[in-house]
Amino acid sequence: MATNLLQGTLDLLILKTLALQELHGLGISHRIAQITQGTFQVKPGSLFPALHRMEESGWLESYWGESENNRRAKYYRLTVPGRAQLATETDEWQRISIAMASALEST
Amino acid sequence: MPLLPRLSSLRRNLFDKPRVEQDLDEELRAYLEQLTDEKVRSGESYAAARRAALLELGGVEQVKEEVREIRIGNMLESILHDLRYGFRSLAKNIGFTGVVILALALGIGANTTMFSVAYGILMRPLPYPDAGRVALVYMHFSPQNFDRGTMCIADYLDWKAQNHAFEEPSIFSSRRMDLVGTGEPEQVQGALVTAGFFSTMRVPPLLGRVFLPGEDRPGAPSTAVLSEALWRRRFSASPAVIGQSIAINGASATIIGVMPDAFRFPRATTELWTNLPLVPPTRRGPFIARGVARLKHGVTIEQAQLETNTIGQRIMRENPYYRNLTLPVERLRDAIVGDVRTPLLVLIGAVGLVLLIAVVNVANLMLARATTREGEMALRLSLGAGRMRLVRQLLTESLLLSIAGGVAGLLVSYGGIQLLRSWNPGNLPLIEYVELDGRALGFMLLTAVVTGLLFGLAPAVQGMRANLNSTLKEGGRGARAGTSTARRIRTALVVSEIALSLMLMAGAGLLIRSLEHLERVTGGFAAPPRDILTIAVSPSDRKYNDAQAFRNLYEDMLERARQVPGVEAVALSDTLPPDRQEDADTFTIQGQVLVSGEQNPAVSDAIISGDYFRAMRIPLLKGRFFTPQDKQESAPVVIISDSLARHFFPGQEPLGRRIKQSGPDNQAPFMEVVGVVGDVKYTGLQKDTDAAYYMPYGQNFGRRMYVVVRTSLGAALAPALRRAVQAADPGVTLNQVETMQETLSRAVALPRFDTVLLAAFALVALLLAAVGIYGIIAYSVAQRTHEIGVRMALGAGQGSVLGMVIRQGASLALIGILLGLSGAFALTRLLSNLLFGVSSTDPLTFAAVALGLLAVALLASFIPARRATRISPVTALRYE
Repeated sequence: MATNLLQGTLDLLILKTLALQELHGLGISHRIAQITQGTFQVKPGSLFPALHRMEESGWLESYWGESENNRRAKYYRLTVPGRAQLATETDEWQRISIAMASALEST
Repeated sequence: MPLLPRLSSLRRNLFDKPRVEQDLDEELRAYLEQLTDEKVRSGESYAAARRAALLELGGVEQVKEEVREIRIGNMLESILHDLRYGFRSLAKNIGFTGVVILALALGIGANTTMFSVAYGILMRPLPYPDAGRVALVYMHFSPQNFDRGTMCIADYLDWKAQNHAFEEPSIFSSRRMDLVGTGEPEQVQGALVTAGFFSTMRVPPLLGRVFLPGEDRPGAPSTAVLSEALWRRRFSASPAVIGQSIAINGASATIIGVMPDAFRFPRATTELWTNLPLVPPTRRGPFIARGVARLKHGVTIEQAQLETNTIGQRIMRENPYYRNLTLPVERLRDAIVGDVRTPLLVLIGAVGLVLLIAVVNVANLMLARATTREGEMALRLSLGAGRMRLVRQLLTESLLLSIAGGVAGLLVSYGGIQLLRSWNPGNLPLIEYVELDGRALGFMLLTAVVTGLLFGLAPAVQGMRANLNSTLKEGGRGARAGTSTARRIRTALVVSEIALSLMLMAGAGLLIRSLEHLERVTGGFAAPPRDILTIAVSPSDRKYNDAQAFRNLYEDMLERARQVPGVEAVALSDTLPPDRQEDADTFTIQGQVLVSGEQNPAVSDAIISGDYFRAMRIPLLKGRFFTPQDKQESAPVVIISDSLARHFFPGQEPLGRRIKQSGPDNQAPFMEVVGVVGDVKYTGLQKDTDAAYYMPYGQNFGRRMYVVVRTSLGAALAPALRRAVQAADPGVTLNQVETMQETLSRAVALPRFDTVLLAAFALVALLLAAVGIYGIIAYSVAQRTHEIGVRMALGAGQGSVLGMVIRQGASLALIGILLGLSGAFALTRLLSNLLFGVSSTDPLTFAAVALGLLAVALLASFIPARRATRISPVTALRYE
């Protein structure tokens, strides 16, 4: 998949994942793999820069918490602007996917 | 996008960095542990799980680096980091940094200065509206033969009557004017001008008015326009000055206006303009004026020249007195700039070479540094530095260097311009308009930055091409085949530096030799120039109305001057070397057969008192000097110069022959040649026109004379002498009280200006070239440490090592010198107009310059060569 497309997609997937549940890094990457049926294997090298970038943009906030097996882990949750962003990006994505689908079918 | 969280992130990233970093570190460690836990749970051993987790993470540092790069303020932070690193790395190499900054500062500074000066003089708009349409019109004719000669009023009236090309033609006549009354008698530079003069220049007066049409008709009342400077100095800038009357040359004139300071025409020093009454001429002459006029719209200067050529032909047809008459037209700018255009262009060319050498030097140093840093670059790449990040780092360093060089260059040029302005060699026109030119500075800075960037990037380019493995394996020793291109480029750069410096040095050498010759020209008198004091006397008062009154005044002055203690000899002359010729006139030899209308050329004629030759120590070659018996009543006598004797009495005895002033039609009596004296330069040190004839002031008279005094006290006697001479009549204007030394040094001021500047440029070039050679040899020695160690271990003596290294430097220098010599042969021809007494391909100069450069090159390679001989084989071999 093209990288720039990937970045937008990754943002959207992270927002979507966190909309359901507050998660730590590993949890997010597992969750994404799960909901995309393994299509997206998010590597830490992409995941962490994306998380930090979105946090700096004010869409996410982070806090230290306990993981399932009692380890300290950093959790991320959606902020109010983050929810708004999710809505915007979802709409955008749907518009694009419809447009792309019809474009590809039209031949 | 919300701004607030971004700002708070920026604050945290910049000011709370350790916490942010620690947080990231912990987050990643936690992630790694979670991942390991998962893998252990799925049945792997802890060690295996840990390794798999690390692999999956893909390197903790790399992930951290990627997170850091997206952080807000990352750009700013990394720039700061680059700057810090750049400063450190430049400071660590203080020698390299210093030389680069110095090279840039000299190159940029010298160029900005020269370009600012040249722009101010050659190109900056003149302070006269639409000055491109203003032209000067001269008259050239035989026997006068001056390129920018003067016309008489009759010629002007003819030109004006037949003119179509110009709007209202005007004429002006520059002369010294005596101001008496309202304070000390003072002589100022003035100009007689016709009514249209100021409207041609289109500059409104600061105060009052300028001449009205008709104010140049005969019988019009005398009026005067002051310069702003004169108005402030003598009339304390009072507006009430308009309508006042002042005494100019003993006659009264009404002040009608004041011109602003920017108006400096016809001379930069002109301070007073009076109306020139066009008295209907009865004959051709005196030739006193040059024309100035504004081209009509749509008329080119070439068309105007064609028209004045035709007018000149017509004037010549009607006046058989003239031969080869033309009316040359010259643009105002060219007329003002005059003789300095060529020297300025030569200096611009020279300074351009300096810039080229400086840039080449910087390039060379940058490349040398790049090679030594290949190891560092490879190491940083392999440790995970991004290539773009490295490029940015190198760019930062180069920019730092360029900016430092630029700032230093700005200081150099600022100081340089101040220096040139205050040192103004007197005859550099328009120097008062010269200021630091922003565009020149900008261009030079750009050159510096581009050079810095271009060659500063070399290590990055090399680093990207280089095979990391092999570079690292070399252990940073850097003796690789991969650098041979860089080495070849650097060798070529050094060779071209040497060649360019040789060209500059050859030019400077020629100018120095020429100046030497010029300064050796004494003007033709044997008295030491510092022992000769001269005073210009200008008795303007009406009470001196005949020759006898003048003679009484001058006798009185001579007598009073003679009484001053320390005075050894006193004399009068109306003409002095090196270039104060009051008059030039043709002459007629009794019995000479001339074709009708033909005349002898104009030569200097001087009116002197009997002691003039003795005071100046001008040798008597034949016959006798004038004596007090050569009076009005006795037979007219004349003394001629050696050169006149040789040209006009070749192989004959001139003594006893008779000549008279002016052409055959002149009514003056024939004078008997009683003596022949040595040649004296009256029309300039560089001129060959030494022919002159002298007449005793007992039989002729000049209103304005110089009192010439010989005294071993020199300039120290000036105040006493001035007082003594002034005592003869407090109303007489005294001027230019100075020693012949001062006069002579002023005469060579402009050549000295060119020479000093060109020599300074050549010196800078030589220094830069020496640094270049030193750099490449020192570098090569460092590279060959191992090889030299092996040689010495195998028995090579210090001498042979020394010889080997120096030979390398010498061969570079020789190639450069040969190239430079051929370039110099081609280029110094451009100098030929500036040279005096030396050919533009003077073999002595060329040889001296080449040897000098070779010596410097050898010295520059000797220092690293000696270092090479000190290499201990043991240390060198351990360097493996």
